[in-house]
Amino acid sequence: MRSRVGKLSAFLLCLSLACAVPQLLANKKQKAETGSDDQKRAVHALNRLTFGPRPGDVQKVMAMGVDRWIDEQLHPEKISDSALEARLAPLRTLKMSQKELVEEFPDQMVIKQVMDGRKPMPSDPARRAIYQVQIARLEQKQERKASAKETASAQPSPAPPPAQPEASNNAKTAEELAAAASTDTQSGDSNSMNSMAPSNDASAGNSSNDSAMAPPAEPKLTPAEEAEARRREDRLYADLKVQSLVDLPPGERYNKVMSMSVGEQLAFADSMRGPKGMEFLTGMDPRQRETLMAMSNPQVVPVEELSQAKLLRAIYSERQLEEVMTDFWFNHFNVFIGKGPERLLVSDYEKNVIRPHALGKFEDLLVATAKSPAMLFYLDNWMSVGPNSPQAQGMPARPMRPYGPYGRPRMYPRPNPNARRRQNNGLNENYGRELLELHTLSVNGGYSQRDVTEVAKVFTGWTIEKPTDGVSFRYDPRMHEPGPKFVLGHKIKDKGEDEGKEVLHLLATSPQTAHFISLKLAQRFVSDDPPQALVDRMAKTFQSKKGDIREVLLTLFHSPEFWADTTYRAKVKTPLEFVASAVRATGADVEDAIPLMMRLGSMGMALYRSQPPTGYSMKADAWVNSSALLDRMNFALALTSGKVKGVSIDTAQLAGAPAPTDPNAILSTMEAKLLAADVSRQTHDSIIAQLTSPPKNGAPEQSNARVQVKPAEADTIAGLLLGSPEFQRR
Amino acid sequence: MSITRRVFLRNSALAVVGTAAVPSFLTRAAFGAVEGARNKRLVVIFQRGAADGLNIVVPYAESQYYAMRPSINIPRNSVIDLDGFFGLHPSMSAFQPLWKQRHLAIVHAAGSPDQTRSHFDAQDFMETGTPGVKITEDGWLNRTLRNLPPDKSAFRAIALGPSLPRILSGSEPAVAMNNINEFSVGGRSPKPSLAANAFEAMYDHSSDSVLHGTGEETFDAVKMLKSADPGQYTPAAGANYPRGRFGESLRQLAQLIKANLGVQVAFADIGGWDHHVNEGSTEGQLANVLTDFSQSLAAFWIDLGDLAEDTVVVTMSEFGRTAHENGNRGTDHGHANVMFVLGGPVKGGKVYGRWPGLDQSQLYEGRDLALTTDFRQVIGEAVARHMGNNNLATVFPGYENQPAKFLHYLG
Repeated sequence: MRSRVGKLSAFLLCLSLACAVPQLLANKKQKAETGSDDQKRAVHALNRLTFGPRPGDVQKVMAMGVDRWIDEQLHPEKISDSALEARLAPLRTLKMSQKELVEEFPDQMVIKQVMDGRKPMPSDPARRAIYQVQIARLEQKQERKASAKETASAQPSPAPPPAQPEASNNAKTAEELAAAASTDTQSGDSNSMNSMAPSNDASAGNSSNDSAMAPPAEPKLTPAEEAEARRREDRLYADLKVQSLVDLPPGERYNKVMSMSVGEQLAFADSMRGPKGMEFLTGMDPRQRETLMAMSNPQVVPVEELSQAKLLRAIYSERQLEEVMTDFWFNHFNVFIGKGPERLLVSDYEKNVIRPHALGKFEDLLVATAKSPAMLFYLDNWMSVGPNSPQAQGMPARPMRPYGPYGRPRMYPRPNPNARRRQNNGLNENYGRELLELHTLSVNGGYSQRDVTEVAKVFTGWTIEKPTDGVSFRYDPRMHEPGPKFVLGHKIKDKGEDEGKEVLHLLATSPQTAHFISLKLAQRFVSDDPPQALVDRMAKTFQSKKGDIREVLLTLFHSPEFWADTTYRAKVKTPLEFVASAVRATGADVEDAIPLMMRLGSMGMALYRSQPPTGYSMKADAWVNSSALLDRMNFALALTSGKVKGVSIDTAQLAGAPAPTDPNAILSTMEAKLLAADVSRQTHDSIIAQLTSPPKNGAPEQSNARVQVKPAEADTIAGLLLGSPEFQRR
Repeated sequence: MSITRRVFLRNSALAVVGTAAVPSFLTRAAFGAVEGARNKRLVVIFQRGAADGLNIVVPYAESQYYAMRPSINIPRNSVIDLDGFFGLHPSMSAFQPLWKQRHLAIVHAAGSPDQTRSHFDAQDFMETGTPGVKITEDGWLNRTLRNLPPDKSAFRAIALGPSLPRILSGSEPAVAMNNINEFSVGGRSPKPSLAANAFEAMYDHSSDSVLHGTGEETFDAVKMLKSADPGQYTPAAGANYPRGRFGESLRQLAQLIKANLGVQVAFADIGGWDHHVNEGSTEGQLANVLTDFSQSLAAFWIDLGDLAEDTVVVTMSEFGRTAHENGNRGTDHGHANVMFVLGGPVKGGKVYGRWPGLDQSQLYEGRDLALTTDFRQVIGEAVARHMGNNNLATVFPGYENQPAKFLHYLG
């Protein structure tokens, strides 16, 4: 049986090669002669202006005409995106205000306020459950700390340093390490970048004096042991319960959890981490899912939903160019979601600062980012204080009344020498530097350290309200450095907030900025090292059209360099581009994007988590390494064999409607669908060779499997094509 | 399908001595014959988040230290004394034997001279090796290999983690490996899967130069790893790696080194050092991460056995922390820090570098430990004298790294 199949397919292979090769060669030749035929043009445009062609896209663009399609993409407001909206609807946090986010997904500070009675316990049952579990978790942590201390002091401990008893030590460190590791995997987030937001540091809240906050709890005896025993029981019980609940309908499953005791809920929430949790949540409505997820960790919910939304937009939005450009500008004006309260700010940043200006005027975008709480916080400008500002001089916070306490006129405000000097009363150059280096002029833009310092002075006073108050931009004259400043040879007169606007205008209209932005756009759309002449022409448009991004892109899209043969597939996809394009190419249905998000994390491109202000690289060398390549191949195979959770795929359909029987026919169909039939001989032959090679050392189960599950072959073929060198490029 | 020459070389080197179960010194001897003297290794550990060097190697003889840190100091009677002036944090008892055996040296008041107190800039600067210059794209650990005799081992430069860190990116091939057991295509089975064969054929013959090169490296690495069969790994007796990501990274690194895969430079990192609030003293947040840190490294050292002779481990962190404790019983971002150097050729049991003192007037910008040793001087010595790359101007462009100024912590 097996050998007959082998022979047959070998025969078919020879036959098809005999037919296909001349055709392929002819095809290649023709392409080389005509430069770019219509199909190739369409494929190229789709590769560059979108996150990759979907089935049918090439034909659609060809029918519409490439130029008209490009023009449509440049005007996203004319494109309906209702299908995407429907997919985004369950992600409720996208539409929440910062205040709602804080209340619904409390951090430790909020939880402590509730514990102290400084804030009321929410009345809404779902919210209440989230709070109660967090309180129980915090109490548990504190009790553990206290009991660890007790046992330590109870033991006479003759030899302090090395003699921590091995067994108990193990148990303790295992837990602690697990906790440490979990903060670690969030890429050192709250833990490493908490300088301005101590309250967000998950591990920071356990000071010894906090034990005063611990509830009156049980009497003496061995309260810690008792509690621990109870928890162990809860855990066991919760685990059993989860097992028994999985088979219930989603709504009932949810209700059962809500009716658990708080202790059980805590144990349940802890057991939910990982894939088991995912499974448990399937089928629940969005609010229910969010509530249960928030029980394990409230702070990740908005972050995960934002990341899911980004993937869904990349995969399903009809306004593809707008998404590409939103991604481009976010990366250009990068902020890191793991830094303190950024997790509450980034959603607004993308929605209201970046996307509306993605195809608009550069200066508007620049000003919007400069005033955004996300940027002010990320690059520390909110805490930058002029060294000679009223605040740094210790002036009282209230505006001076013209008259002193006894009605005598006050000549000038006096510094109060007894006023406690604030910790932050100096200049912070972080934003000033990145504004020049990364946002506008570029590192070679001809500015000096003095310019950096002067720009930093200009922006003193550009600060933010507290995140918990529904953060917003605020200009604080008390923080502002008085006097004129000198930036790039220009004198900036002393005029408070408007100094910043003047500098932003100066930078937005600088030829260096025009050149730098054009270069970066060309790197995104043309090649890692784009032709100088093209960049120059784009920069000219940038200047003559007053930084109109749409116009600069028009120059780009209508340039011969963009359409040159050497540009075709010249770019290596970033992990995001790769994952999105693979899902798009296969026409897969994404029900839950979290597994895709996790995959991106392990490929080194965790969404919204580029820590440095440079953002993620767009160049090949950053993304071509062994680990990444294996990740891509494995992702391709997992995706096409339905092993990426939350994503369903129909490879049989990809293989062609009447299900061809020989691998070669499947391969040809798939090459056409996944790579617009433009596949190298090497790739084609390598796949065919493996598919038709006789089994070595004849493993019997293998041959059975092969005959039985024909669709698996289609899976493999699709996976091999998505993992091929060709598919790594766009 | 076809085994590449270099894999063949390695396998035959193993074959010379017989089985995979031969004592490591024998295989090393066999390798020495084939490969020349190319088995020196440099391992770099990055403590991300700015570790508090003053509470790690404590200047316990300085009364000023106790004055500045009323609630988080390490009491004199708790430190593990090193030399009558400095003492180790008590949770680093795992380092004590290494110190006594003189394998462990310490450089205090060291770090990057750049004044930035931004985590990301400072980490970047220490990885590129060009403080203050942001456009450097490659890392000094990659450049370290540039002038060494070519060796195409796929495992020559390795980072334990999901992506290649800046320190290892550059023109020399380097492998990022998240998990040894997942470093394969289409599953862990010892036999290559159909998909793995197809991918290898595609990439081996690809005309795509960028992907072809990496593809080849990758499949060589995958095959080398499979033939070394790292799945059946048991650390040496006494090498008790703590649970956690860092211990796991070092365990896997030891595994790769011991599998004779030709590791020359390696990188691993450990986070969780940014203690602005409730840092703790002999116990607490810093104590916990120090336990993990020191026990992992000690286990790594024991696990390497006699391979440790040719290994130098250097630790670094982007900057130190304020000399004074802050209002939240933590510390804020500071300047100079402490570095550990561990290795066979290290003249340990000594704290190197000039101690700048902790009097107010001696502090950097009136708040931080001043810097007396540039981290490039410390690494430069290891690169030149241990790895044998004397072209330090390439490894650290813009920095005059004079051998005369080395600390001479290497024997």
